[in-house]
Amino acid sequence: MSTPTLSDIDVDVTVTDEPDPAPAQARGRRARRPRRRTWRTNRFAYALVAPAVCFMVLVHLLPAAGGILLSFKNLNTFTFSQLYAAPWAGLQNYRSILFDADNPLHSGFFGAVQNTAVYTFWTVGLTLCGGMAIALLVKRPMRGQKVVRTLMLTPWIVPSYVVATLWQFMWQSDVGIVNKVLVDYTHLLHDRPVWLLGPKTMWAIIIPSVWRGLPFAMLIFLAGLQAMPRELYDAAAIDGAGPIRRFRYITLPLMRPLIAIQLLFGVIYAAYQFAIPYIMFGSNPGDDADLMMTLIVRQSFSNSLFGFGAAASTLLMFGMLVWVLIWYRAFRRDLEATR
Amino acid sequence: MTALPMSARTRKRVIERGLDVLTWLVLLVMIAPVLWLVASSMQTDGNLARGTYDLLHPTFRAFRDMWSTVEFSRYLVNSVIICTAAALLATAFASTAGYALARYKFRGGGTFSIALVGTQLIPGSMFLLPVFLGMVWLGRHTPIHLFDTRVGMILVYTAFFTPVAIYFLRSFFLAIPTELEDAALVDGCTPFAAFWRIVLPNALPGLVATFVYAFLFAWDELLFVAALTEHNAETLPIGMRNFIGNYSQDYGQLMAAGVVSTLPVMLAFFATQRWLVRGLQAGAVKG
Repeated sequence: MSTPTLSDIDVDVTVTDEPDPAPAQARGRRARRPRRRTWRTNRFAYALVAPAVCFMVLVHLLPAAGGILLSFKNLNTFTFSQLYAAPWAGLQNYRSILFDADNPLHSGFFGAVQNTAVYTFWTVGLTLCGGMAIALLVKRPMRGQKVVRTLMLTPWIVPSYVVATLWQFMWQSDVGIVNKVLVDYTHLLHDRPVWLLGPKTMWAIIIPSVWRGLPFAMLIFLAGLQAMPRELYDAAAIDGAGPIRRFRYITLPLMRPLIAIQLLFGVIYAAYQFAIPYIMFGSNPGDDADLMMTLIVRQSFSNSLFGFGAAASTLLMFGMLVWVLIWYRAFRRDLEATR
Repeated sequence: MTALPMSARTRKRVIERGLDVLTWLVLLVMIAPVLWLVASSMQTDGNLARGTYDLLHPTFRAFRDMWSTVEFSRYLVNSVIICTAAALLATAFASTAGYALARYKFRGGGTFSIALVGTQLIPGSMFLLPVFLGMVWLGRHTPIHLFDTRVGMILVYTAFFTPVAIYFLRSFFLAIPTELEDAALVDGCTPFAAFWRIVLPNALPGLVATFVYAFLFAWDELLFVAALTEHNAETLPIGMRNFIGNYSQDYGQLMAAGVVSTLPVMLAFFATQRWLVRGLQAGAVKG
């Protein structure tokens, strides 16, 4: 019986001649004291991951593959009863989305792409900048620091459908608290803005998203700030570097890996946003706030254009793959530095 | 009269106190919408319509009436059952898989971790359609009914939130010293017994935090439940949408429903806040 023993465990630094299965894996997922790969320990590890893998393949990956398959099919109200046996459409779904200018789905798709890009840019940008600013604020020693840090997390716990409901109420033009503050109390504006109709609807969904996202960004950046070596700051202060220069030349470079990860997932989650516009405006948020997800869900489930929905989902995923590649090129060096 | 020039130390202190004030102001802005939610839920409809609030005389009528305007208790019960079961299952899957990733270096382990991140890249709508069609197909051809059932939603949520749970729990396992298991292994424990009897009990805070983390995600989920249910298994977000769609003038009840929907996750979060925050931050800094 070759159960792993201490002698097995202590060889973790020796180079094995087997090729590392994933040399370039993101962020160095190395076990702290990896045990030597023997068939026996391997088998145990496989047994441990097997349930999760089987389940995910069955309910996660196979359906996703099915989604790509469906994008090449002509599945709509008339062919729905055939399910996967629906007639092939070849690239027709893609062609009508991307190139058929007469098709209303074409303009709808590109409108949603543009809206999603705007929404993602502002949501992620404001969340990261604001999160960093708040993290710097609450990192300072002050009275009630613990309370402040804990209460700052509150917006993150409020479910997004409650966030959307609440802000929809606050955005009301006549009695909503936002306009009351902006117009009646502070007189910053003279005309009451209409938030829930027309061009401002985009801000009506961006601002609540940022509000809900800030605490999480703050939490992650705060962890990074606390892990930062104190000596660097002291040395810089002695050299006469002011707070702004210290932030620019010490904090920011050291935080790059954390910023990179936040950026990666922030963009993905923002691009897949559904709940906030859906709850605030229903299945059709209008031309100014229709995001990719609301468009796909509406066309698939309200209009039964399943082929279109599947093709649009696939295109959206490709867009995100492109984003990941760009991101990887931009931040590869930072990720390697944290290994 | 000449103003006394401030000494460097006084200036520094003034700035520090100013930043303290700024911090409290930011906090106020951050929690103001939540306070507004609570305040609005305790106003009469007249006050809400006029926008004049009477904070000294709260009324709890909205909290009483909301249960009959829409079938709110049905949504709430569904949410509690589905989210609890899904979070438990996801934590169970994550406990073994996360442990394997934290302790063993095995062929395919790296691919597996990348695949976990990769799943986050698949838009929900992408497997929503096939899952929907699959459920419809199963319902027609087999006695397994998953469309619009709690079991169906539990399965979907478990699959969807297992990847994040694995990552989250992995960082807790990494923080547990290996010496305990090593000692057990030397004493002749099988690897599984070492995991089951030594590691898991020590990872209890991590397990609880993972459960709450997955629960928070499931509680927030809207896309799947909007597409995969039509009545029986509908959860709170759908109830909220029905509220807005059909009774949008009842803002008092709407806000009360918001408070009731937030309370369970709020309590769960603040009860386990210490562990949750540690897990999130450890995952961020150490990778």
